[in-house]
Amino acid sequence: MKIEDVVCPFCGCLCDDIIVEVENNRVVSVDNGCTICNAKFMSKNQLKKPMRRTDDGWEAISYDEAIDMAVDILLDADRPLLYGWSGTHGEAQCVGVHMNEILGGIIDNTSSVCHGPSVLAIQEVGHPGCTLGQVKNRADLIIYWGSNPDEAHPRHMSRYTTYANGYFLDNAFRERKVIVVDVRETETAKIADLFLKIKKGGDYAVLSALRAIVRGKGDVVPDSVAGIEKTMLEQLVTMCKEAKFGALFFGLGLTMTKGKYKNVRNAIELVDELSRHTKFTLTPMRGHWNVYGTNEVFTWMTGYPFAVDFCRGIAFYNPGETSAVDILGRHECDACLIVASDPGAHFPRQCVEYMAEIPTIVIDPYENLTTSVADLQIPVAVTGIDAEGTGYRMDGVPIHLKKVIEPELPDDTEVLTRIYDKLREARGV
Amino acid sequence: MKFVMNTGRTIRQGKFIEAKMKSGYGAETSTCYMHPIDLMEVGIEEGDHVLLTTEVGSVVLHVVAEINQPPGGIFVPLGPYANYIIPSGTHGTGMPDFKDIHVSLVPTEEPVVTTRDLITSLGGVCYED
Repeated sequence: MKIEDVVCPFCGCLCDDIIVEVENNRVVSVDNGCTICNAKFMSKNQLKKPMRRTDDGWEAISYDEAIDMAVDILLDADRPLLYGWSGTHGEAQCVGVHMNEILGGIIDNTSSVCHGPSVLAIQEVGHPGCTLGQVKNRADLIIYWGSNPDEAHPRHMSRYTTYANGYFLDNAFRERKVIVVDVRETETAKIADLFLKIKKGGDYAVLSALRAIVRGKGDVVPDSVAGIEKTMLEQLVTMCKEAKFGALFFGLGLTMTKGKYKNVRNAIELVDELSRHTKFTLTPMRGHWNVYGTNEVFTWMTGYPFAVDFCRGIAFYNPGETSAVDILGRHECDACLIVASDPGAHFPRQCVEYMAEIPTIVIDPYENLTTSVADLQIPVAVTGIDAEGTGYRMDGVPIHLKKVIEPELPDDTEVLTRIYDKLREARGV
Repeated sequence: MKFVMNTGRTIRQGKFIEAKMKSGYGAETSTCYMHPIDLMEVGIEEGDHVLLTTEVGSVVLHVVAEINQPPGGIFVPLGPYANYIIPSGTHGTGMPDFKDIHVSLVPTEEPVVTTRDLITSLGGVCYED
C-alpha cells in the first residue's frame, strides 16, 4: 500500500510530500525523501521492551514496572531535570510541562544547545520572519549564513529556495541569487553566486560592517573585515538592496560561535536595515523536526520558550542558569528524565558523566548514548511512523504528522500521561 | 600543534542518528577533517590517528584530508567524540562553545576507541541486545 503526503519526522523542514510504501505493517520503500529521511523510515533499530539497568547489565521489564520505577525516581528527586522533547509531538510536550509543574523541577528542550541564542536575540529585538511558502514564491535572493543545508536540511534548497520554482519565479535556479557566508567552503557554498569565507569568530564584525554599508556609512569600514575584502561586502549589500525579496537563513554557525546571541541580534538588525530598502526576512534553520514546537508549547504554557525552572512554584527563566548544560555542569539536579533526544551524544562530557551518576530515565524509541548512562529506558512509538501528533516546521507552521503503520508500542503521550497521573495521585493534586 | 575545532552536522552523521551504537556512526563522528597542508605540517597522512587535547580531556580520532577546510581549523562531526573534549561552560547563555574549541593536536599510534568504549569510560553501561 502506498501512502502519499507523509510528513518526514527528521529536520525542521518537515517535508510533507514523502511517499511511503507499506507491506505487512512495515515500511518497505520511501520516495521523495533525502538520505536521512530514508534511513529514519527504514530503521529497524526500535527497541521493543522497557529495560532497567542492573548490577551486571540490563534486564527487560514490563511497561507497568517501568512506569512505577519512573514515578519513584521522579518523586524521590528534589530537583529533577526534564530535558529533550524536540523529537516528539506537541501533545506529549504539554504533558511534560504539566508534569514539571507538579515536580517543581526544571524543564528544558534541545533549543538550549541549538537555537536558544536565537530565541534570546529575538526576545531583544524581535523576529522579522515569514513562512517558507513566502520564500519559495517570492524570494529572489537567499542568504545562508553559518548553515549548510546540503548536509543538515538536505531538501531545503529543492523545496523552498535554490531549486524550487515559485509563483513569481518561473525559473528559480536562474532568477534566484544565493549568497553563502561560512568559515569553510561547504557543498552549499559551491552552488552560491557569492561565497564569503570569513575567519572563525568574525561573524559579528562582518554583520556590523554590512549594517554600516547599508546605512551609507561604508567609509568607517576597513579594507578587510574578518578576512573579507570590503569590495565583497559592498557587492553583497548591492545584491541585497537590488533584490525584491531577500531571505536570510542562519544556522548554528552564528549561535554556537563567539558572540552567540549577539551575532543573531546583529543579523536581525541587518535585516531591519535592509527592510528600509527592500523586503527582507530572517529564519533560523531549526534542527530537530519539532524543536520549534517545544518553544511554542513551552511559551504558551509557561510564558518562556526553554530552560524553565518551577522550583519556586512559578515559572522562572534564566538561560545560563536554568539551562540543561549549566544545571548538569553544576551538578545541580538529582535526577533526569530525558525524552526524545540524546544528550549522551550531544552534551559535553562533564554533563554526561554526571548523568551516569544520578538516576536517569530515557523515553525514546531507540537505543542511543543516553541509554548507556541511564537506569531505565522506556521505548515508545515513533511520531510520524507509528504514532501521530503535531509538529512545528522551522517557520512556525504547525503540521499534523500521521502514522503510516499500526503501533506495537505506546506513544510518548500515553507513557507520559501514565507517569503524570501517578505523580498527581502521589502528590494529591 | 594548536588548532581550532569546529563541529557540526554531516549527512552521514544524520543518517546514523537513530543507530548510534552501529559502527557507521562511530566511524563518522570520530573523523577529524583537516586541510592537506595541515597534514603535511603535522607530518601525518590521511587515515593516521591524532590525539586531540583540551582542558577537559583527550580523544583519538582518524584523519581525513579536506581541501575546503580552512588551514589551522579542524572539523569533527557533532557527536560523542567531539563532546569528549568540549568544556561545559556556556558564558551564561546555556550554549557551550561547540564551534570554537582550541585544541592541541599530535600524531599518535593509539587506536580510535569504539563508541561503546567511549561511553563506558564516562560511567555508562551499554545495552547488549
